[in-house]
Amino acid sequence: MCFKNLPIEFDEQGNARLIEGVANPYSYETKELFPIEDSPEKLQKLLERNGHVRRVDFDPVTRVAGALAFHTVVDLESRTVLETDSMATLFRGYEIILKGRDPRDAIYISSRACGVCGGVHSTASALALEMAFGIHPPPMGIVARNLLLSIEYLYDHPLHLFLLAGPDYSEPAVRETNPALWDRAVGATAPGRAVHGFSTIAEIMTAMTPLTGSLYAEALHMTRVAREAYVLIGGKYPHPQTIVPGGISATIDTSDMNEIGIRLGKFFDYSRKVVAIYDDITEFFYDADPEYRNIGVRPSNLIEPGQWDDPFSYDGTFANADDWGRKRWAPPGVIVDGELVTTSLHRLNMGLEEFVEHSFYEEWVPGGNGNGHGRDIPFPTDPVGNPLSPYHPWNKETIPKPGATNWKEKYSWGTAPRWDRMAMETGAYSRLWAAAQSTDYGHGKFIEPTGHSLRMMVPQAGMPESVLEWHVPEVLGAFERNRGRAYAMVYSALIAYENLLIGYDLMSKGETATSVPYEVPQDKRIGAGFWGAGRGFLTHHVTMDKGVIENYQIVTPSTWMASPKDPWGNPGPYEEAVLATPLLEDYKTPEDFKGIDVLRAIRSFDPCMPCTTHIHTDDRVISREVITCACGVDDEEHSHEHAHV
Amino acid sequence: MPDATGTAQPKLQGVPNAGDVFGENTPYGVGGLGGSSAGPLDVVHVFWLAGMSCDGCSVAVTGATNPSVEELLAGSIPGLPPVVLHHPVLSVSAGAGFTRAFHAAAKGELEAPYVVVVEGSIADDQAFPPDEGYYSAMGAGGFDPESGGSDQPNRMTDWVVKLAPGAAAMVAIGTCATWGGIPAAAGNVTGSMSLGDFLGQDYISTLGVPVVNVPGCSPVGDNFTEVVAGLLLFLQGIAPLPELDELGRPAWQFKETVHRHCARAGYYEEGTFAELPGDQECLVEIGCWGPVVQCNITERGAINHMGGCMVAGGACIGCTMPGFPDKFAPFYKAPPGSALSSNISRTTGAGIRRLRRLSMAHANRSPIWDRAGEVPSAYSRRASKPTTVSKVEGFFYKRLQYRGTVDLAKRNKRQPQPKTMNFFAGEHEQDLARYTPPDPQAGEGAGREEL
Repeated sequence: MCFKNLPIEFDEQGNARLIEGVANPYSYETKELFPIEDSPEKLQKLLERNGHVRRVDFDPVTRVAGALAFHTVVDLESRTVLETDSMATLFRGYEIILKGRDPRDAIYISSRACGVCGGVHSTASALALEMAFGIHPPPMGIVARNLLLSIEYLYDHPLHLFLLAGPDYSEPAVRETNPALWDRAVGATAPGRAVHGFSTIAEIMTAMTPLTGSLYAEALHMTRVAREAYVLIGGKYPHPQTIVPGGISATIDTSDMNEIGIRLGKFFDYSRKVVAIYDDITEFFYDADPEYRNIGVRPSNLIEPGQWDDPFSYDGTFANADDWGRKRWAPPGVIVDGELVTTSLHRLNMGLEEFVEHSFYEEWVPGGNGNGHGRDIPFPTDPVGNPLSPYHPWNKETIPKPGATNWKEKYSWGTAPRWDRMAMETGAYSRLWAAAQSTDYGHGKFIEPTGHSLRMMVPQAGMPESVLEWHVPEVLGAFERNRGRAYAMVYSALIAYENLLIGYDLMSKGETATSVPYEVPQDKRIGAGFWGAGRGFLTHHVTMDKGVIENYQIVTPSTWMASPKDPWGNPGPYEEAVLATPLLEDYKTPEDFKGIDVLRAIRSFDPCMPCTTHIHTDDRVISREVITCACGVDDEEHSHEHAHV
Repeated sequence: MPDATGTAQPKLQGVPNAGDVFGENTPYGVGGLGGSSAGPLDVVHVFWLAGMSCDGCSVAVTGATNPSVEELLAGSIPGLPPVVLHHPVLSVSAGAGFTRAFHAAAKGELEAPYVVVVEGSIADDQAFPPDEGYYSAMGAGGFDPESGGSDQPNRMTDWVVKLAPGAAAMVAIGTCATWGGIPAAAGNVTGSMSLGDFLGQDYISTLGVPVVNVPGCSPVGDNFTEVVAGLLLFLQGIAPLPELDELGRPAWQFKETVHRHCARAGYYEEGTFAELPGDQECLVEIGCWGPVVQCNITERGAINHMGGCMVAGGACIGCTMPGFPDKFAPFYKAPPGSALSSNISRTTGAGIRRLRRLSMAHANRSPIWDRAGEVPSAYSRRASKPTTVSKVEGFFYKRLQYRGTVDLAKRNKRQPQPKTMNFFAGEHEQDLARYTPPDPQAGEGAGREEL
């Protein structure tokens, strides 16, 4: 593998280095934006062409977590989107509050970055501190973390599928925006009726209606069932009280294991049902109009940090991160154009950068535009010598600069994270994708990757044993994101179950310790936690000295996806996906237009803004002006990489 | 967005119903089902404003079951009007369709009583000159679209200022909104504060109450929904106003310390303390502030009466308290006060623990075993003969226990032994030899004898 855009090459041993002879290897040129509404001539032309070019704002976008606003310009005649701007409208300054504090404060403070997936934040923070402190939990501590993570997903996935995104596929929404589709649904037999019990697609849609629908109510109930299991060892939710550096502060006894196990069984059956429902909904829409595949479509570029550590491999060190990372139940991965290009946490970390050209922050690199590499930045390399950008989280500074919103300049509190200078998407499906394409998957008890799919054996519970198979989609749009989320529920339940079994085994061996003692080191330390949330990628990067946090940086899934434009004018994933969305809604006049397809596209990403941003994209033609890397050892490196993927 | 020069330019027209995917005539919130428009109290609107928030309070509320959100929304609780909830995470409509009701309430045109719930701290956004930035915003275009003014984001503080005067009650949910919380911690740059501090000493709602505070980070969901239910019962004239303490907290929820109902409080009494996270004893020495924190999570549980911080093994960090987080930091470090109090309890606890162990040994023998002088069951290899000390203690104990009433010890002594005891004598000796009985002393903290 080679970075296509970053100036990094690899020697024969696969060690990364900067390409020689480039004075400012990370420098770049910024491209000016030309928003339609800021360009009177452009605007005049569009207005003359037809009367159907409209500004459509969704502020706030509801049924997402946190503050997201979305601005679009649409052509209602050609049924296309001309311009999109995604805006995160909240800044709380957690990274700044953490700076200068005792590192022991980081776990519980950073947990509060997000109240939808606080458990994930606190664990990512614990992992970062463990790397910095040089400790790692005993096996039972890791098993407990894995259980907590899976159970958190089991609450999070139904929340997305039926409370947030689901209502857009419910009877009232479909009848209002596509009456013909509703008529078709009434006559459409549901292929999965033996599993989910609904005879027609229309019955499913009725059941998805907020408040009155049985699927809505059941999902709300199941989020509670999962949270009951969570609080047995997490204490409370969303901000658990048992996450500590070096393990878990929970006394796990037989009752805890029993009560978790009973609830997991319910999720085996519920997952079977939800998969059948989302398969039926997806195929129904595709059959009705193949264009539905293109709602929210964008290139299959995904990033996945991995999660669920192997209790006997994770050692908390950065040096061995490639090794323990690949042994996770969900291995790390970067997917470019649908193909897995690396499963190395080192390379995933090496490619990270965050830009703030269109965000309410100040540039921190001296001179700007990436010109400050070398001695000017705190960490020119990672702990094992791989090069790092001045825009890497370990080198980033958070300097807020509130100001007026301006589509051309700054319009969001979110930053623009990029990997190898590309906008990446992440989600529950990115972990299915990375696992499906990995060739050395180490946890085959219930899960089997085939290269193009993931086969999952779901044990008997109320329903008989069954095999569910998720296929890597050819095109990644809104429907595939939601369908992937449904399959991710099975995946999470199976990993929880396998960890429960390992937990029983550890109990029978008497290995019940869940944490290790530690001292807060007083010398200079550096750490990173990689631990995905229900909706995807999450990292915490910490640097500390004299027992105090020097820098703390959080990159969340929605930071990636709600990203505003980058320095090159490239849109973030929401912006890109909405630009590609055909407007299939039934409308005759602009007064009829509701924007369901745009909302379906945005909500399929499961935006979660508390720890993120505000967006705006303008140009449909994307041009890139980045340093091109002469990938001299590309082929060799590629074959080297294949040994791993 | 306006052009930097401010010159007039052609403007794109909007569309009036963007985001109304359930139709423009559906109720713009969720809920309110079963209500009619006959009278104002047929429905009550709840406007949920998420300021400097993580949405954790919203998530906690979706977990509540006493009552549940769906029960409040459907109006299925006897005596309660259905609630129309305008919540950014749950509402069906987006954009203008969502903010329409907020604008109506702000203009006094809602024609139904409303409660405002604020989640998250209040940023110092009113200190910015108009249209020159914000930390927290919802919707854009100002509050008077007719004037054709700015299309900059509307600050959350503007909404609070517009909605507070007409609100039947302002409810602050979670520690950010009640006291300031983490956004207001040392190092913050946003000037964050609580709702009560922002509205000030002179604010009272149309019901005549100051801000109602339901703290916790995140709060127990039931604590909040039960307060909402209480306010609605009061609005209906059925129940008194929920009793609030001197800081506006529901008095019955926050009058006790969390330690008083803690599942591990008994360890404190006996002077045994966890040394490492995961140990089963009292958590004070690994950073638990429970003895001085007002909270009910150990009694009520986190969700459906399950879990709770210390119940699971997590040390209390004071997340319901106005001093959170800085007055409880650094976390995982024993509170200074515990150096004195936990050593006192170590001293007294050592004696109490020993006496209790004697009583337990006594209580762990059935009268039949006392008469037999052994445990005649499969556990018989466990030496169960009372020691001299326990015999002496038992003698006085029984005297005290049965003084003034029937002496069951005496009656038991006279009771004949069952004739068919030890029925399988000798048949399973080999199988039993493989079984090691547990040590009955292990479960009561006896391992800490050195204390």
